[in-house]
Amino acid sequence: MHGEQKIRVLLFCLSLAVFLVGLPVILCFALGYKFDPRSLKFTKTGLIFVKTQPLGASVYLGEKLLDEKTPLTINELLPGKYHVRVVLKNHYPWAAEINVEKGKVTRFDKIILFPVLSSVKQISQGRSASFWLSEKKDTVYYIDQSDNCVYRTDLQGESSVEVSCLPQNLEPPVKWSLSPDKQKLVLFDRYKIALINLDAEGDTSGRYRPFVLNLPGSDSNNIIDVFWHSDSYHLVIVSVSDIAVMEARPNSSVLKLASLNKTDTCAYYNLSSDTLYFSDAQAAGDGNFYENIYKLDLNTKLFLFRDLIKLRQTGYEPKDKKSP
Amino acid sequence: MSPKIKRVLEIIPGAASWGTIFFLILLAAIKPVACAILIIVFDFYWIIRTIYLSTLLFLAYHKLFDYKNRDWLSACGKLKPDKDWEKIYHLVLFPVYKEGPQILGASLECLRQSRYPKEKMIVVVSFEERNPGSNQNASELERRFKDKFFGYISAFHPDGIPGEQRTKGANATWAAKTAKQFLEKSGIALDDVIVSCFDADTCVDQDYFSCLTYHFMTSPNPHRASYQPIPVYNNNIWQAPSFARVVEISGSFCQMIESMRLEKFVTFSSHSMSFKSLVEIDYWPVDMVSDDSLIYWKAYIFFKGDYRVVPLYITVSMDVAYSNNLLKTVVLQYKQKRRWAWGVENFPYVVEKFMEERDIGVLKKIRRAFHLLESHITWAVWAIIVVLIGPLPLLLGGKIFNQMAIGYNLPRITGMLFNFTLITSLALVILSRAILPPRPKEVSWTKNIVMILEWIIVPVVIVILGSTPALDAQTRLMLNKPMGFNPTEKNEKKVV
Repeated sequence: MHGEQKIRVLLFCLSLAVFLVGLPVILCFALGYKFDPRSLKFTKTGLIFVKTQPLGASVYLGEKLLDEKTPLTINELLPGKYHVRVVLKNHYPWAAEINVEKGKVTRFDKIILFPVLSSVKQISQGRSASFWLSEKKDTVYYIDQSDNCVYRTDLQGESSVEVSCLPQNLEPPVKWSLSPDKQKLVLFDRYKIALINLDAEGDTSGRYRPFVLNLPGSDSNNIIDVFWHSDSYHLVIVSVSDIAVMEARPNSSVLKLASLNKTDTCAYYNLSSDTLYFSDAQAAGDGNFYENIYKLDLNTKLFLFRDLIKLRQTGYEPKDKKSP
Repeated sequence: MSPKIKRVLEIIPGAASWGTIFFLILLAAIKPVACAILIIVFDFYWIIRTIYLSTLLFLAYHKLFDYKNRDWLSACGKLKPDKDWEKIYHLVLFPVYKEGPQILGASLECLRQSRYPKEKMIVVVSFEERNPGSNQNASELERRFKDKFFGYISAFHPDGIPGEQRTKGANATWAAKTAKQFLEKSGIALDDVIVSCFDADTCVDQDYFSCLTYHFMTSPNPHRASYQPIPVYNNNIWQAPSFARVVEISGSFCQMIESMRLEKFVTFSSHSMSFKSLVEIDYWPVDMVSDDSLIYWKAYIFFKGDYRVVPLYITVSMDVAYSNNLLKTVVLQYKQKRRWAWGVENFPYVVEKFMEERDIGVLKKIRRAFHLLESHITWAVWAIIVVLIGPLPLLLGGKIFNQMAIGYNLPRITGMLFNFTLITSLALVILSRAILPPRPKEVSWTKNIVMILEWIIVPVVIVILGSTPALDAQTRLMLNKPMGFNPTEKNEKKVV
């Protein structure tokens, strides 16, 4: 036999030996079996898979720190309960009591390690009450409670400028609400509604002039809630005596849609369907008043169509215009 | 043998391959754990096999390197006086179909540049009479090479000889018979003639015939052996597209590996043998496609198992089959590989002859038949199992399987296989560089980078041009749809 053939036979025998020895080991590993040298028996084990966001966290199994960082697999665990703790510097730790079953993998692959808030940075000045982001997500608007003014700043808080201050005759606002297009801000107290038009060009200093919408009989007709219509142009006003709509512009008139009999009406406005849900006591067929929940569809029963709005804004008639 | 048994033998390879594939798919859906275990066993077997075969490849390369640095003609000259190498004549047959003077001229030019004495060489270029351009091609080649060798014959194989199919084997047989007449007329003993049957694009190494002569003279019982060089596809390798190059280099590697496994080694493509033995066994089969391997089996059975293949670690270079557009090249390569895989027709032939032959030991017959069957089944299914069926238990096994330890470990183990394949590919890349011819001046140096990066496509190539053509060939044999001999179109832009 030639030298090469001898080497070949040797290689073949070696390969066969590695296959015969290695295969049971690999299959035991694949099936989760572990050889227990004390009992000289194979025991079926389970495993835990831990994956974190961010990666590279240390894992403690009980008190023992494991060598590998996340993502990692803890193999050959005898069935039972294990305490697993995941730690990462400057992040809150994660811990759980995990029940390991034989032949099964317990996956924890959606662990988020939240950062400790050591890097919190203040980006507004004064006493910020509320804030929102501009449509382009590059500007933060916030209301400063101390002076009732709206400020604008970049996302780093490095260029904070006053946008507009609320009218002086406005009581501390009950609530404020941003229009769906994030271009207008409406605030109201019990008697008045103030509006800041953020899409206006502003005065020479770049400030946006606020204006107050006048409600007829506002002294006695307390405002309960104000909602934006989805067109960002109309406001739906719920007061103790009625439900009304008005355009969000100076000197607009009020259109009364329904009278309310209950002074503590609750209301919810579904912006996606422009539907107002409210509680009230309306007269039934028997002449009695029963408290119920009502629904008022503002998308079809009023002349508040988007097409009409577009017509006003652009001056052309939409092709698919439908008659109201 | 009854036609029914022959049909059964024809069905066995295809049925076994398709059976393996369908069984594993079904198992993945019904018993994913059992399927996963089988896949892990197969994957592990494949890793071990890859290590083993890669080592053989490196050993073969070492021999190739060693042979290249030897002066074989001087070695012949130093043979003992009783071994008169100078009486040996080399008969070189080129059975051709449509190949023209451009391709054949380059191959004959390689012969002319051989270091072996040309007065001991006889060349027969055998054209197909049915090809209208044959006469013109023959005349042009005769004008260039007629007086360059001891003998140069242009033969014309008539079409439609009873019992023949339109195969290369039929043309080669015609060429050999024509040469026999010439040898007898010239008074040359058939014992002293070594016949080499080459593809039209075969370009031999300058030392090929010296090396062949040396091995013929020094081998025990040299007439009971075929002599198989290492086929490489260097003629146009720098011009060929990446995937075609990867396929052909892989083919050369397979042949190098096979050359180390002597008990399984059979002839492939261009090879040489004793002319006397060729006449004794009645030449090549004239009605079968895979004549290159069948000639070995014919001799093995005729000489009752006393026949072997002697590896020659010296190269014969051929063309990479490619066309001017990618799709055509894929089709060309696919058809060529399918023709190679049609070698599966050897299985029914060999088993049929083994059943009739009583003088070969039963165990020997079983072992050889099993090797033949196993190699074709493995060829057809291994890439499909590794690449396509491997992930199936995870896809079809459902949530419960995915929660099991084996469901979790299966992708890790198959991933390990893939990583290992990458490491092996890296070794192949290095080796592929070593067997490449020098870069032609007109080819940009950036091609060097492409030739390294192209090995990334191996997993795709092995499925498309590895398993699929083999499965196709086996299916055709199984369904009794014989494949005619479709010669691979040679690229005319040949670079020697």
